[in-house]
Amino acid sequence: MARYGMLIDTTKCIGCYTCRLACQRQNGLEPDEAFVRFEDRETGTYPQVGVEHVPLQCMHCEDAPCTKVCPTGAAHIGTDGIVQVDQGRCIGCLYCMAACPYQVRVRNSKTGAVDKCRFCHVSNYENGTEMCTCVTACPTHARIFGDLDDPDCELVKEINRTHAAPIAGDLTKSKVFYVR
Amino acid sequence: MSENAITRRSFLAGSAGVAAVAAGAGFLSFNAWEQADARGTSDIDHYTAHSLCNSCSSKCGFTGYVVDGKLGKMIGDANHPNCEGTLCGRGYGFASIAYNEDRLTDPLKKNGGKFEKITWDQAYSEIAEKVKAIIDEKGPQALAMVQDPRPSGSYYTKRFMTALGSANVYTHGAACNMSKNAGFTQVIGTGDFTSDVANSKMTMFIGRSYADAIKPSQLHAMQKAHENGAELVIVDPRLNNSIAFADEWVPINPGTDLAFILAMAHVVVHNKLYDASYIAENTVGFEEWADYLKDCTPAWAEEITGISKDTIERLATDLATAAPAASIEPSWRGAYGCSYANSGETARAVCCFNTLLGCWNQEGGAFFGNSVKAGDLDKEKFPSVPKPEGKIAGADEYPLSLAGMGVNVYAAELAKKGEIKGMFFYNSNMVAGYSNPKYLEDCLSNLELSVAIDIQMTETCQACDYVLPDTTYLERLEAPEFIGGKIPAVSLRDQVIEKIHPNTKPVDEIFTELAEACGVGEYFQFTVEELADAQLRTVGLTLDGLRVAGTARFPEKTFKFGKTPTWKTPTGKIQFSSDACHAAGYPSVPQWTEPVASVPEGDGYFRLIGGKQAVHTHTQTANVPALMNISKQYNLDRVWINASRAAKLGISEGDEVEISNDEAKGTAKAHVTERINPEALYMPSHYGCSSKDEKTAYGFGLRQMDFVPFRIEPGYGGICSQEAIVSVRKVGA
Amino acid sequence: MTFEPIWSGIIACYLFLGGLGGGAFATSAFLAWRHPEAVNMRKIGHVIAPIVVIVGLVLLMFDAKAGLYNPLRFALLLTNFGSVMTWGVVILALFVIVALIAMILDLTKRRVPWGIELAGSILGICVAIYTGCLLGVCNTFPLWNNALLPILFLVSAMSTGMASVLLAGVFKHPEEFNRVGVFKKFHFCFPCIEMLLVASLMFITVTNSTAGYESVMALLAGKYAVAFWVLFVIVGLVGPTILETWMLFFSPKEFEESRKAHAISAMSDIGVLIGGFMLRLLVLIAALPITMVTPFVL
Repeated sequence: MARYGMLIDTTKCIGCYTCRLACQRQNGLEPDEAFVRFEDRETGTYPQVGVEHVPLQCMHCEDAPCTKVCPTGAAHIGTDGIVQVDQGRCIGCLYCMAACPYQVRVRNSKTGAVDKCRFCHVSNYENGTEMCTCVTACPTHARIFGDLDDPDCELVKEINRTHAAPIAGDLTKSKVFYVR
Repeated sequence: MSENAITRRSFLAGSAGVAAVAAGAGFLSFNAWEQADARGTSDIDHYTAHSLCNSCSSKCGFTGYVVDGKLGKMIGDANHPNCEGTLCGRGYGFASIAYNEDRLTDPLKKNGGKFEKITWDQAYSEIAEKVKAIIDEKGPQALAMVQDPRPSGSYYTKRFMTALGSANVYTHGAACNMSKNAGFTQVIGTGDFTSDVANSKMTMFIGRSYADAIKPSQLHAMQKAHENGAELVIVDPRLNNSIAFADEWVPINPGTDLAFILAMAHVVVHNKLYDASYIAENTVGFEEWADYLKDCTPAWAEEITGISKDTIERLATDLATAAPAASIEPSWRGAYGCSYANSGETARAVCCFNTLLGCWNQEGGAFFGNSVKAGDLDKEKFPSVPKPEGKIAGADEYPLSLAGMGVNVYAAELAKKGEIKGMFFYNSNMVAGYSNPKYLEDCLSNLELSVAIDIQMTETCQACDYVLPDTTYLERLEAPEFIGGKIPAVSLRDQVIEKIHPNTKPVDEIFTELAEACGVGEYFQFTVEELADAQLRTVGLTLDGLRVAGTARFPEKTFKFGKTPTWKTPTGKIQFSSDACHAAGYPSVPQWTEPVASVPEGDGYFRLIGGKQAVHTHTQTANVPALMNISKQYNLDRVWINASRAAKLGISEGDEVEISNDEAKGTAKAHVTERINPEALYMPSHYGCSSKDEKTAYGFGLRQMDFVPFRIEPGYGGICSQEAIVSVRKVGA
Repeated sequence: MTFEPIWSGIIACYLFLGGLGGGAFATSAFLAWRHPEAVNMRKIGHVIAPIVVIVGLVLLMFDAKAGLYNPLRFALLLTNFGSVMTWGVVILALFVIVALIAMILDLTKRRVPWGIELAGSILGICVAIYTGCLLGVCNTFPLWNNALLPILFLVSAMSTGMASVLLAGVFKHPEEFNRVGVFKKFHFCFPCIEMLLVASLMFITVTNSTAGYESVMALLAGKYAVAFWVLFVIVGLVGPTILETWMLFFSPKEFEESRKAHAISAMSDIGVLIGGFMLRLLVLIAALPITMVTPFVL
């Protein structure tokens, strides 16, 4: 069993929305159904100004509030620690959306069911399937995917090197790590 | 299409023709897809095809994966020089345009202000009749074509117009990079150069953001330079998103880049930081310019540009120290592509400054790559079209402009005057994007014949009498695209998906049939497949081969640093001084001249500036829901206003503000930010669509061009896209 | 990016009707105990209780689009007993069953056993508390994530339940309405308690975090201020309290039984109902998550 996670290096993020759009294409999502959302920050005063873009998506929390509140069990933690939404079980009550601290779950306007990042890059990682995922599509290579339990994988090495940390500390034992 | 896949596979097995091709990643991705097929699903429903993105002019290569006839995922081709394996967001989003509900599906004719469907035959015969009548009455020079170049489009539009005897083939250039290219040409004899950013010790970007107007390979280069510790400087009234990989933002007053460069040149010349022997050997007019520069002190420029003299001094010295592995990057549209009345002169100053750095063709400096072109084709099948007698209209009036682009807005002016009677538009939304839309609409209304060929009902289509529905780039094969650079390449836009709307036609068919109807069909007795194959054979490739590979490189033509190029100027040297500029009414060496529009006294006045956002290209992407949804979710239509200016005007984030000048008036929400020069008001260049038939885009945001008066830069022919002052006030205050 | 409330009108109705139903049943039980003569008002409570809760549940199902399109999925609601909503479904189901039994018995003029009245009242209280807990477990919303909210919702539920019975009573059976004095005094105190609870909720939330502060400020002085002060505080709490104070303690007995007085009582009850709905709606839409107001990037 792997424990999949991701690193997002915000120092390389230019806020270009490519990850969102590639993801929508790869996963056949509706135009208003985005698995990646963005927080932008501006610091300092003119002309000494800093800019930061932070892409947010399902953090695949080990302590996932969505799975706790979901009344039908549609939201669950699947194999390799990937938080999933069983589209066939979801009634669209949106309780998971209210419970998610990261506001990264979206309702599909056609089916009414809730969906979110599926860590689809796992297919690329495990089988080498060519995909336009947020990881492969990022034009500045700001993202790394890997197995958090594998000390030799690039992800773990990079987390250790950069001291990357979950965006909200240990709030939910998130498996997406950020370099800030 | 499954048969097609088999042909490709058998080609793979048998071909030895494209050695350069075989190493490409397009090839590998195809294999991977094949393996995926072999693992289970039948390959009847799956296939891949290489194409070139059409969401901007970079035309990045990608592999489209088609499942059940529908385009699914897209993978950027690793061997395509512009994307190097990663597309930008526009590429993924824009591809859905093929399935857009607002596609043009049938030929239309305007009848009493309303469009009605007509048959292709009727369209062709009526258009041909009018073309002939115009030629009979005023000659072929009364016809003009405006097009935003794409591989097939460039070839067919030019051939069609040439066959009719007209030299008036315009690109969008005057509304894009004309002033820059024309200014460069005066100094270095060519319209463009490339900064070797990746290997540079220092590069300065003036009004160019690799992170907002993305060509992925450039972004990669900048990132590499940043990681290598190069000093990267952004000169821009707006702190653009490239700051992620840059060290410094120089928040210059809009329209004053020329003064900034002159002052830096002053520092380099005054402190003798240049290579005197290089200058003596390769240039003319240096003494004259050096003499002029004496007064262009950093203190002088500080007054104009708002940048401290220390900063100017430091940056100039840094550039000279890093030289020759340093340059001012050529930029594109933003600062001096077509923006101000001093844009052409700014472009000249950039090249002159780079000359002081001695960076031409030096590693880490600025270089002129190599290119490969298709050779001569079989004269029987592809007969040469006799060259038209006249020059492109505007060549005399704008003597510094480049004939390859032409001053498109001058053609519009001639339409207003009745000198040009018929105009064609291909893949060009001139009305909304090239200058003041109201003015341009008025120009077009004077035409006897106006034909727009497009995929969606743009403002330009609305202003024309005939609208012909093109297929999208995903639905057709095009002529090959030759790409210059360090290693030249050729790339193919192959058909990815079947035609969606049966009554649309690809550009090659439209112009072939139109030529037939106009009586010049003898020049079009070939298909686009035959054309592509013939062109590729002249460089040792085949169409079938490139269909598999997508992109082929020419490693034997790899550019090598170090060799001084031959300067294709009248003097054969780099020209600090230009007789042509002098003849066109400019000083012979680049000198400071102000923008035409000046900011009046008073609190609420701003210089209006435009600029790209990463998810859009001009006005052509605004009707794509996947892209527009981002604009709406993240309020990308807001106008940027400097925080301290906003405070003085009582404007807070999200407040409704009224923006007005003599040309237009409108309201928008304000984005109050520290990321912009106090003199500037930034309005994104993508919104304010006024064509009701583009339902997603219609009515969202303001259109920058509405506020820009119709004006043409003397000599160079640029459209002066930022020569506009607006006043801003809070609504209800 | 601005934060769009995840739940709004429909769910506010559901929370409101759930509480109202629970309150109405408890009202009936109270009437059966203290005012056995008020037969018709008790019946009204027994009828209102199951019906409004069922309407609320239908609204909920309507809002849960994916379930609406695939109704069989609602059966899955009973699969995760870690979820407050699952418990809510169980409680609501039991309540509806008990309330329907009571309604049928009462309408068929049979005595409703004390066991049923008690079980229904307890379940009704549970329903009311559940509507608060549903929100309370979402720990990123300071306005929701506190122990006061379920109590506040409970008090409001009782208040609206009583108001609904009194409102129907004053029009349909004014003679009974005139005689339930103890009940009316009991009803009077709820808006007062509610005011204290709301004030406490605001005080605690405002100091809890930036998100709490922003949420409270949106209610007190921000974009929801008009709705909060006018529709909730004045119409829903202060108005009814003043009117009831006057009616109960200062007006002469004769006036209290006049038609004019009945109209005033009705107005007061309508005010309580409006206030009850506004409370749910405002709590839903004004709540901001800590992760948005104090974005991670800070």
